[in-house]
Amino acid sequence: MALSKKTNSQLLFNGILTENPIFRLALSMCPAVGISTSVMNGILLGIAVLFVQVFSSCTISAIKNFIHPRIRIPTYTLTIATWVTVIDLVLAAYVPEAYKAMGIFVKLIVAFAIITMRLEMFAAKNPVVSSFWDAVGMGLGFLFGMVTLGFIRELLGSGTLLGYDVLGTRPLLFFVLPAAGFFTVGFMMAVFNSMELFFKRMKQKR
Amino acid sequence: MKQIIRITLGLTLSCLAAGLVMGGVFILTAKAKQHNEHMAVQETMLSLLGYGKNNPAPSNLHLYQIYRYVIDDGGEKFLGYMIPLKKGESIRYGLIVITLEGSFKISHEFGISPQQALEPADRETALKAVLKPPTSFTFADEIIIAKLDGKRLAYLLPGEFQGFKTFIKVMLAMDPSFKVLGMEVLEHEEDPGLGGDIERDYFENQFANKSFERLKNLNVTKEPLPDEYRKYLEGKTGAFTREEIEKIRGKYKDQDIYALTGATISSQAVTDGVKGMARRFAYRIDVLDRTVASRGLPVAF
Repeated sequence: MALSKKTNSQLLFNGILTENPIFRLALSMCPAVGISTSVMNGILLGIAVLFVQVFSSCTISAIKNFIHPRIRIPTYTLTIATWVTVIDLVLAAYVPEAYKAMGIFVKLIVAFAIITMRLEMFAAKNPVVSSFWDAVGMGLGFLFGMVTLGFIRELLGSGTLLGYDVLGTRPLLFFVLPAAGFFTVGFMMAVFNSMELFFKRMKQKR
Repeated sequence: MKQIIRITLGLTLSCLAAGLVMGGVFILTAKAKQHNEHMAVQETMLSLLGYGKNNPAPSNLHLYQIYRYVIDDGGEKFLGYMIPLKKGESIRYGLIVITLEGSFKISHEFGISPQQALEPADRETALKAVLKPPTSFTFADEIIIAKLDGKRLAYLLPGEFQGFKTFIKVMLAMDPSFKVLGMEVLEHEEDPGLGGDIERDYFENQFANKSFERLKNLNVTKEPLPDEYRKYLEGKTGAFTREEIEKIRGKYKDQDIYALTGATISSQAVTDGVKGMARRFAYRIDVLDRTVASRGLPVAF
């Protein structure tokens, strides 16, 4: 991808809908399937990814001219690992309440495909400001994806939302298991694809 | 060749920069993190004893720490307990050394206060003064004995065992008859949404009220957790009458632990870990109590 010509708002929108990491790019499927068992899990992991993505993208974008092309992937991993560690330590020291809830999610992030992919595809080729907005878009897209999956799975699997009893029963217990994560992701991908088709047809009609 | 040098240099510098950032942040945050951890442990201990914001701990509740060390004296192993001893009005720590068979070997007195004993470095200095080389020692674990009005109220045992991924750190509370009062997961790295749920109330609270006899052969069951029991475990008992709550408590008192959906290994690991901790502790405290009584030591606990 060459230098992006998109405006900041386009970059933001791009990550949330057009190139949603989970439903359009099918990246970071492991957490999407494993962790999205409840809305709260989705929110916490989504926020953690948002922060790491923004910090990592800005760092790589700022130092992109100094990175030797042959060692760019190890450098990305190192950058992500550094930010994950820094966020983990800072949360543990100054926001213990948030750390208690988010600690285990933050530690998972080092190996997330979506972050490395955005560094390679975008941050390594674009200026810091565009990279920032792309990272925010992708982070929010991931957050949106996780919350949507969490919403469907928590409601159908546990009959609750954010821990509050909504249905009074557990309609499909199967939805809390990882296998159901794949079904839900597949279903959401179908929704996104049909939305795309719908908008394309609308455009053609005009 | 030039390429190789550039790549090596680039990687080394990147690692160095990352290391410096991480190291710097670690130094800046270490103290605050340690303080938070200490406060969290204190809070957990009190909450396991039933005290909290709405029900503050009474002033005559005392917590006494006992530190266990493994002592190596020329290849022979001994157990060393650093215990609080009464000295007039104040409390000073001492060391009692017991053989692996459970008989008394020797005791020493230190001048260090309970506050100083909380610091691992101070304890080490005190121990080094009496256990001179070639005798060596390693810290094993710590137990806390809670006393209210001069009577033993509970034992608090911090412990750790292997989980599905890495170690799981817990705090177990037992009454003097070794019945479980409560269990709290302090730290773990199990998968969120699956094994990570070991820290949820509906899992942790299943251990409460299990007698020592029941604990010995406690197992996990893959049956689904009944709704009424789940509500009871989560403290959502608003809709139940007092009799109903008592009925639920009685009904599930001797029940095996209901495994978490999709995380049987984590559930089994915690159950086995808690079982092991309780069994070992019951044996050790019995030996310690008997040894202390036989020597007539003026212990505070």
